[in-house]
Amino acid sequence: MDINAITTDLLPMRFGRWGRIWTAILLLFCAVGAFAYFLQLKNGLVVTDMGDYVSWGIYISNFVFFVAISLVGSLITAVLRLANVHWSTPLTRIAEIIAVSAIIFAALIIVVDMGRPERFLNLLLHGRLQSPIIWDVVVISTYFVISLLLLYFPLLPDLKILIRVNANSSSSSSRLNKLYRFLGSFWKGNPEQVRISERAINIMCITIIPVAFCIHTVTSWLFATTYRPGWDSTNFGAYFISGAFLVGAGAVVVAMFVFRKAYHLEKYITELHFDKMGKILVMLALLYLYFNINEYLVPAFKMRKPESAHLMDLFAGEFAPLFWFAILTGMLVPIGILLFKKGRKPLPMFVAGLMVVVGAWFKRYLIVTPTLLHPFLPMQDVPERYHHYFPSWQEWAIAMGSLAGALLVITFLARIFPIIPIQETITEQYAKEV
Amino acid sequence: MQRRCNFYLLLFSFCVQLPISFSAKAQDSARKSLLVDLSYHCLNNAAIYVSVHAKTKEAGKFQPVGGARFRLYLDKDSTACFAGDAVTDSKGSAIAFLPPSLKDQWNSAATHTFIAVSDETGVFSPSRTEASVVKAHLEIDTGQGRTIIAKIVEMKNGEWVPVKAVEIKVAIKRSGSDLAVSDKDSYTTDSTGTISAEFHRDGIPGDKSGLLTLVAKVEDNDTYGNLRMEKSEPWGAVLKLTDTFDNRSLWAARFKTPLWLLLMEYSIFLGVWSIVVYLILQIIKVIKAGRLV
Repeated sequence: MDINAITTDLLPMRFGRWGRIWTAILLLFCAVGAFAYFLQLKNGLVVTDMGDYVSWGIYISNFVFFVAISLVGSLITAVLRLANVHWSTPLTRIAEIIAVSAIIFAALIIVVDMGRPERFLNLLLHGRLQSPIIWDVVVISTYFVISLLLLYFPLLPDLKILIRVNANSSSSSSRLNKLYRFLGSFWKGNPEQVRISERAINIMCITIIPVAFCIHTVTSWLFATTYRPGWDSTNFGAYFISGAFLVGAGAVVVAMFVFRKAYHLEKYITELHFDKMGKILVMLALLYLYFNINEYLVPAFKMRKPESAHLMDLFAGEFAPLFWFAILTGMLVPIGILLFKKGRKPLPMFVAGLMVVVGAWFKRYLIVTPTLLHPFLPMQDVPERYHHYFPSWQEWAIAMGSLAGALLVITFLARIFPIIPIQETITEQYAKEV
Repeated sequence: MQRRCNFYLLLFSFCVQLPISFSAKAQDSARKSLLVDLSYHCLNNAAIYVSVHAKTKEAGKFQPVGGARFRLYLDKDSTACFAGDAVTDSKGSAIAFLPPSLKDQWNSAATHTFIAVSDETGVFSPSRTEASVVKAHLEIDTGQGRTIIAKIVEMKNGEWVPVKAVEIKVAIKRSGSDLAVSDKDSYTTDSTGTISAEFHRDGIPGDKSGLLTLVAKVEDNDTYGNLRMEKSEPWGAVLKLTDTFDNRSLWAARFKTPLWLLLMEYSIFLGVWSIVVYLILQIIKVIKAGRLV
């Protein structure tokens, strides 16, 4: 085992040409999104296509998507760690970074959806504890802190390595070194520190699972506690959790492929990892498909009048192309790819993962919007435009800007910190050899 | 020549009249006939009104006619006997009270006829409907052991005379409709014009004082029309209104959170955040452990 080789392989790298182009594109999206948000702040929510019918549009769809994708931290790190699964070690940091960036933007996009964001504090000062919205605010904050801690604790041994390696480097590295020193200069790696850290990580892994389940259940309750076609379900919590596991795993697969290619990590993220993640992904896709059948088949079997308009719109109406696209790309096609061993190779896995993520985004849109267009008690004599919703360019720009922002956070974190835990990899290699 | 002239005149007049008569026939057949029910009502032997219900037959089914206008008369179709206008609602119904101007005319006879007249419209043919009634009074009283006694009398030769063999219903007035006082649907008057009904609805909610409104009524009687008499008795359960508006509930204001929810929320919040605080303290412990080396 060559410790130096592992360290060199896994150190964070400067952006190459493609890295700089990628970052520039993301920054451009963020800038356009920020400008659109400036317009929204200046003119109010009138710049959106939301109205009395569709009061939750693309922003809340995006919020649900971010909340869903953030579950990946608890899946890969906590669940697999508690199950004593060691092959997932190279994937834990990726999962934790995705979770942190997703939860940051989940919180931000909620503020974007507020007509008067300067009144956000009133939510905490005057909020009703009976409201699932308050529960969501509390649980998102809690999940964010725990996710941050779950990223930070396992990072401590790597910070020591980074400080050592960057000690005699260029000025940009010295700026980074200041950050590394601020974050982890106290880590000496002595047995007492290792013991405290291991214990803390174990406690976090146990804590984050119920908190992650809470965040998805409470988010689902934002919908399920509202009496509307498509949301009036007792199954919504489990439906959201299964969907979140799926999209989170899909995001990790995409990130695995991209980082493996960009940082030449073929030795560390092997085909075995893709194969195992593929099996997890197909299982989660089947699980989510099961919940989807439950959510649509049961009301479709009864076809109560208010439900039927909503369901027919999804199955064969205005939203049918989007609905079947989301079902096919989000579940059926990935299942078809991943059920076969050849489908669990890196490239097909990347394609399947990407499809899962894209399908999941549209699925969230379909959970939010069509239901709002079909209330149980329709308003009378409303203008025709109230019966349709298509996001304005400002909404698209802000939504895309937030997605770009989340990717930017992932990109910067991958630039600053090792994307695969160095110390853990060395320890595991050593344990294997011994 | 004269014969031929007469023939052409006849042919001409036939040709002119034929389309006119067909057109008139077509207009007559295009108009629908209005079917009108006219009923007399007397409430508490005081308020007198007539109800009109207009319907028509469309595609083999009776449909109510809304917006139909009727002129109502008492006894005679003349201006002096005009009782008022009535316009039907969407259910085809309308009512009109007997105006004070017709009080003397009403008191002058024991039998009266109400007349409802509607004019021809673009859709309906004109109509005229009559309903004759004999003036009658209904009395209601209570006896021992929660018994309700009702009596019907009619005006005959200037006197109120009991009427035999009239169907009377006895009920309790409830919100929306009447509830029969017992399982028996109706009672038939004896030779004294009286019926007796047992009250079998013990425990039924009354108002704040436990008062129930008892009702005796004659419905759709060919001779007497619709009569209704009410009387209040404290036979109901006293209604205790409990205002739950300001109670702790899931839908109440923010300071009215249910205690069980508060307990659950604070327990979960404190439970999870005590772990988070503990984890943050572990960072301090790690820092201290680093200094010990």
